Amino acid sequence: MFAWLKKYCKPSELSKAGVLGMNARNFDVIGKYNNRRLYPLVDDKVKTKMLANNIGISTPKLIGKIECQYEVKDILKIIDGYKEFVIKPAQGSGGKGVLVIVNYEDGIFETASGRKISYHDVYQHISNILSGLYSLGGKYDTAIIEELVHFSDVFKEYSYQGVPDVRLIIYKGFPIMAMTRLPTKASGGRANLHQGAVGVGLDIRTGRALHGVLRNVPVTEQPDTGANLMQIQVPFWKEHLIIGALAYDMTNLGYLGADIVLDANKGPMMLELNARPGLAIQIANGIGLKTRIKEVDKYYPEGLNAQQRVDFVLNYTPKE
Amino acid sequence: MLKKIASVRGILTTLLMLAIVYAAYSIYYKIEYWGFSFAPKHNTNLWSVEAHIAFEPTGTPIKINLTTPRSNEAFKILEENVVAPGYKVKRNKSGSLLTLTSAPKEEQQHIYYKIMLFDNVNTRGKTSAPQPKAPEQPLFDAQKMAEAKQILKLAETIDGDAVSQVIKLFNQEPLSAAVQAYLPIQKSPQQTLEIIRELLALKGIASRPARGLLLEESKKSLTPDLMLEAYIDGKWKIYNMQTGKKGLPDNFVLFQRGGKSLIDVIGGENSIIKYSILKSVTSTMNLAGKRAKLAGNETWYDYSIYNLPLAEQNTLKWLSIFPLAILIIVVMRNVVGLQTMGTFTPMLLAMALVKTGFVPGMLCFTFIVFLGLIIRFFMSRFNLLLVPRISAVVIFVIIIMQGFTILGYRLNQDIAQSAVFFPIIIMAWIIERASITWEEDGPLNAGKEILFSVLTAIFVYLVISIDYIRHIMFAFNELNIVILLIVMLLGTYTGYRLLELKRFRPLVKR
Repeated sequence: MFAWLKKYCKPSELSKAGVLGMNARNFDVIGKYNNRRLYPLVDDKVKTKMLANNIGISTPKLIGKIECQYEVKDILKIIDGYKEFVIKPAQGSGGKGVLVIVNYEDGIFETASGRKISYHDVYQHISNILSGLYSLGGKYDTAIIEELVHFSDVFKEYSYQGVPDVRLIIYKGFPIMAMTRLPTKASGGRANLHQGAVGVGLDIRTGRALHGVLRNVPVTEQPDTGANLMQIQVPFWKEHLIIGALAYDMTNLGYLGADIVLDANKGPMMLELNARPGLAIQIANGIGLKTRIKEVDKYYPEGLNAQQRVDFVLNYTPKE
Repeated sequence: MLKKIASVRGILTTLLMLAIVYAAYSIYYKIEYWGFSFAPKHNTNLWSVEAHIAFEPTGTPIKINLTTPRSNEAFKILEENVVAPGYKVKRNKSGSLLTLTSAPKEEQQHIYYKIMLFDNVNTRGKTSAPQPKAPEQPLFDAQKMAEAKQILKLAETIDGDAVSQVIKLFNQEPLSAAVQAYLPIQKSPQQTLEIIRELLALKGIASRPARGLLLEESKKSLTPDLMLEAYIDGKWKIYNMQTGKKGLPDNFVLFQRGGKSLIDVIGGENSIIKYSILKSVTSTMNLAGKRAKLAGNETWYDYSIYNLPLAEQNTLKWLSIFPLAILIIVVMRNVVGLQTMGTFTPMLLAMALVKTGFVPGMLCFTFIVFLGLIIRFFMSRFNLLLVPRISAVVIFVIIIMQGFTILGYRLNQDIAQSAVFFPIIIMAWIIERASITWEEDGPLNAGKEILFSVLTAIFVYLVISIDYIRHIMFAFNELNIVILLIVMLLGTYTGYRLLELKRFRPLVKR
């Protein structure tokens, strides 16, 4: 009769495990360290991209942007000379409204999933973006067209379609937790855990796999490809961390999520930032964020630059 | 920073405590002085007592003295009327004596006095009063004195205090020989009372007659009951003349105390007074204003919502349940951790359910959403832009509601007519959100979202559909301040949500 209760644990147990709950995240962390005034910097991808490029973070190159309905017809002019590109809403979230074109030839657009669509479909998609279908709160939005990332072969066997990425949590400028998000068939090629993507926690010092999780259940294999998740080792790990550390300098947000993709040719690139990153990363890492936050508050020095902060993280041995 | 949060919580907690104290006092006050009740549809008995006075004028100026009841702790007066055409009506200072005067008249006179009473309670009929003069000793000859002493001695063998002993003795069945001999052969209650008073005077107990009516609905005309008041231990205590029982029954209205007669007509003869009593029932809330006035706090009442026109009151009654519904939503989201479509959608659904009734409302809701989703699916092929598309869904919802209502009317099904109570825009958004979730995250997630929202709505509905709760939230609207502060305090709650205990359970090392 009380079997269902076994699925629950006591609050004290979570507290002991250092788990950061949603209320504590909103009140104690975001409410304290993320000034609402700064949100537009991360909510608008065009702004984020410009800021990132100024501070030396590489991002997928912006091909063009469309802000008004009458500009939509210019799409063909904008993409002239490109065979592959991505169209996405500037203020979208959770991978909504991202259209990946892998081959554009003779007026036919081929998407990542192999579907062939026409100019009319693309036109419609951009219109939808502009009307705010994918943006937060249905606000009018801008469509951005950027270069397609050729994600590194390292991830090929772990991912079903879509673009796998690395999510870093940066607290007070220090990367404190990381995971890689691998699209699956169930997630429809999107790297969102709640849609069924696999999350694999990564050791913040090495970029090596720790735990795999699929819909809150531990996994060790990619469900579609069968690849062993525990063998993941993200290359250019330090470069990943530096992007995260720089993102703090760039936004001043004390609690920040950075989504980074690894391009086969250009190395790690920042895709987007998030001022309210989710908490599922804790499950993928098997450790609570509060533990890390407390450590930073207690033992981490202040006044370091991005490079120094990353070095500190790489050489840090937990005190407890 | 931590200190700052602690102080925010501290301030809110202090305010909450103050709000609770205030609410508690205010609730006590409303119950005590305005007669509010926790029970909805609480009714108060309203007694109309009518006195009909008829007499024949003798041709001299007429003067009528009529003793009337006054509001006291035993009952309150709603209204009082004298119907006496051509008479000048005056009241004495205490208001207990009405004086009607008129020039000489010729025909038979009819005067009506009507009084509406409510809130009669059992007061045990005690009234503190200063010590009256020592009772006048009756002038008895030796034989009568001996008889009287014998009777008093006899009375002492009966249960009860001195007064009820005597009264009981005079009501014994059959009467003892001594009493029988002592009483005149043809005794009226009035005479018996006077004899008892004389006997009590011998014992040094001051007493006086009192007249009143038992509040009992009765078509025939009533004669006032006679009671005896005796001064004992600093208080006038009232005794039933038939049983010797001490205390006023809670449905007894005293019209007059002391020696005066109830009515006294000068310039008239053959006067008769007939009383009739009618009971009616009125909502307790309706009498609140009168109670407030009697309690001497009209101003507070005048500026309360209960003094507004009924239409406004009903609107406010509807609104005053919202804070509680909001509190439930806040708890559901921030303490339980249930994600619903839109923050207040479940609340608005619950409100609609209250108006439609549960089963018709749910059927109607399911039907509208189901039909709306089908239409929305066909529409998604047109790839319309967002604003026109949602607008189209809104119009579709309106058309569905119209069709449903017409169909319901033709088929004589009340169920279908409840469609009009659902908030159109909310319905349209539910359909739109569900279809987008369906397209993006699959039907399972869409169904889950709707289900959670509906479950929350049902829960809110179950709470706010309780008559008691609705009534209490309106009658004791100071509770809204308490809820406001609870909601604000919940805004500082940083503990885990209930569902997180399940979600993050894998993190607990065992």
